[in-house]
Amino acid sequence: MKVFIDPPNSLILFDIVERFGHEPLSAMAAIQEKIDNLEIDMPPMNVTLDDVVRGLKYAGVEVPSGIRGRMAMWGPMIEEADAAIIMDNAPYSFGCVGCERSNEMLKYLIKKRGIPRLHVVYPSNEEEAKNFVISAKEFLEGLGK
Amino acid sequence: MSEERETRLLMISPSSMLTPDQLVRSVHAMNKDVKVKETCYGCLVEGRREAVKEVLDQIRGKYRNEVFSKRRAYPAGDPRRCRAQHGTRPGYSQLEAEWALLSNVQYGLECADRGEKVEQVPEKGPLPVREFKKICEE
Amino acid sequence: MTIKIAELSCGTEYSSVQHEIEKAALSVGAKMVYPDVGAADVDDAVKRFGFNPRSNQLKLMIARAASLADGNYDADAVFICTCFRCAEAALVRNELRRFIQDNTNLPVVTYSFTERLKASQMLTRMEALVTIVSRKELLARERQTGLTAGLDSGSSTTKAVVMQDNKIIGKAWTGSGDVIKSAEQVLEEAMKQAGIELKDLEAIGTTGYGRYTLGKHYNAKLVQEELTVNSKGAVWLADRQRGEATILDIGGMDNKAITVRDGVPDNFTMGGICAGASGRFLEMTAKRMKVDIEELGPLAMKGDWRKAKMNSYCSIFGIQDLVTQLGEGKTFEDVAAAACHSVAEQVYEQQLQEIDVRHPIIQVGGTSLITGLVKAVGEILGEMPIVPPDSQYIGAVGGALLSSGFL
Repeated sequence: MKVFIDPPNSLILFDIVERFGHEPLSAMAAIQEKIDNLEIDMPPMNVTLDDVVRGLKYAGVEVPSGIRGRMAMWGPMIEEADAAIIMDNAPYSFGCVGCERSNEMLKYLIKKRGIPRLHVVYPSNEEEAKNFVISAKEFLEGLGK
Repeated sequence: MSEERETRLLMISPSSMLTPDQLVRSVHAMNKDVKVKETCYGCLVEGRREAVKEVLDQIRGKYRNEVFSKRRAYPAGDPRRCRAQHGTRPGYSQLEAEWALLSNVQYGLECADRGEKVEQVPEKGPLPVREFKKICEE
Repeated sequence: MTIKIAELSCGTEYSSVQHEIEKAALSVGAKMVYPDVGAADVDDAVKRFGFNPRSNQLKLMIARAASLADGNYDADAVFICTCFRCAEAALVRNELRRFIQDNTNLPVVTYSFTERLKASQMLTRMEALVTIVSRKELLARERQTGLTAGLDSGSSTTKAVVMQDNKIIGKAWTGSGDVIKSAEQVLEEAMKQAGIELKDLEAIGTTGYGRYTLGKHYNAKLVQEELTVNSKGAVWLADRQRGEATILDIGGMDNKAITVRDGVPDNFTMGGICAGASGRFLEMTAKRMKVDIEELGPLAMKGDWRKAKMNSYCSIFGIQDLVTQLGEGKTFEDVAAAACHSVAEQVYEQQLQEIDVRHPIIQVGGTSLITGLVKAVGEILGEMPIVPPDSQYIGAVGGALLSSGFL
């Protein structure tokens, strides 16, 4: 199954989803789609004005452009997802997920889609990590193929 | 193109005794048609999607809970993301922060392998106002 | 030498503007760089800075600024930019600008962008950063020598000044039409006053929107953006070459607010979100009232802005306000005062919030001749700005002064 991960660029979530037999839907895949397009020369990510305009589907023009650009990229993945794993309060959400407003919107859109979702808490010690991994494993194994 | 090329980042857990050099040699020993680039955290593997997948499966088989992996959008050495060109990109801090967490995740995976179950942790929440009031009054 | 401009930004890559920023930098011989920071540095820097934003990219900006402040990363200038309309980012952007100014000597410019940003809009700002870094000695020049001319090809007017041995000996201006023809006309007039011919000029300096075209046409020794050139012209005209000052230039299209130290800008903003805060709006106001723009200032001096309601951000709605107020029978004096007050208020709200005003305030440019506007700026800032003689010629004077550095 296609499992959306949030933060969408997380190494740990990507690994866990794949390890337990599913296809992670990640920022990396979405960005690769863009940057491998040789017809566009808008480094570093080939995000174009058209993409940002496409983001209007998710948020109006009074919303900052960076949010609309992000939503244009992650939004379609959420629509495609069969399930989602969300790490709440991930303190490491840098890079593609540097905007907290966009991240809040992502979580909201996942909820709104009504797909099976697992909220995990950022583990700060071994015991919490154990619970995080085991609950993720149970969730992913319970999804079927 | 994107259907074809896959670039993988392989990261070694900080509590593993494995070195990036050993990891790279393991990949080379598989004799697959992939490019391998050693990095401070492990290595990058790049090639056709199927070949990279085979490498990954074997690495996971060999170093089950010690090596973690995710896709990387940019090909290895892409000038658009090269540190030498501009300095670090934001994703660098993200990797660094996640790397620090891998020991714990490794432990969690080992527990899962042993079939351990989730331990109920009492939820932390703010003290109910009534109780707080009681404490204040005491 | 490639000038390294450190970029402290949030949202550029997802707004399709990062490439435009880099393109602008490249075209003026600069390169955007990102100060190196590790994950652990981020937490330390945020704690030290004391503002803890929710968005991690903003935390990263803070860590990068700290890296510059500590001298851990080598850059020549700083460009701080975030998405337009993001409140969290706007707070961080402005406080980081202060932090950079307090802790480094690097010139800094702030900007809030939309997805429509194009490289050409960034050019003047990037060029100014490069000029400040690479032409330090030239910008330190305080006296004009020899016989030189400056041409300022602005969006509304074109100005020429001829200078000899640190004195203005000829000056002229006209409304901007064809870039070259307008410049030829004013230079001709200025040279006539000075009693010289083109071949007598030892150097020419050009600035303003038409600077490249004029630079090529006259084979000018100096072709330089208006931020640094105007600053030099302003401090020369106001005789404030040493110490600190704020230069305020409410232009026809762009407003500029520049803080200077010894005549060299270290922070500036340029632009204006809507034309309601520009000289153009006052022109439209005068036209609608069927008075000459020269009469608008004295009219406003006699009026009371409180008696007419005009405070639109947009020049179109501003004119609607004007029509309504006139329709209600408000006097020309009060309406003119309200129009001036409205422009000054918006400049204060938009531009002057992006810099820390230093004293004295030197108001220059064509609009500084509108006395009612200067009064309104003074009222809002609580300090009357200095308007030097020939204040509309700052760019041309700066051009003549700086080009003499090439003799």
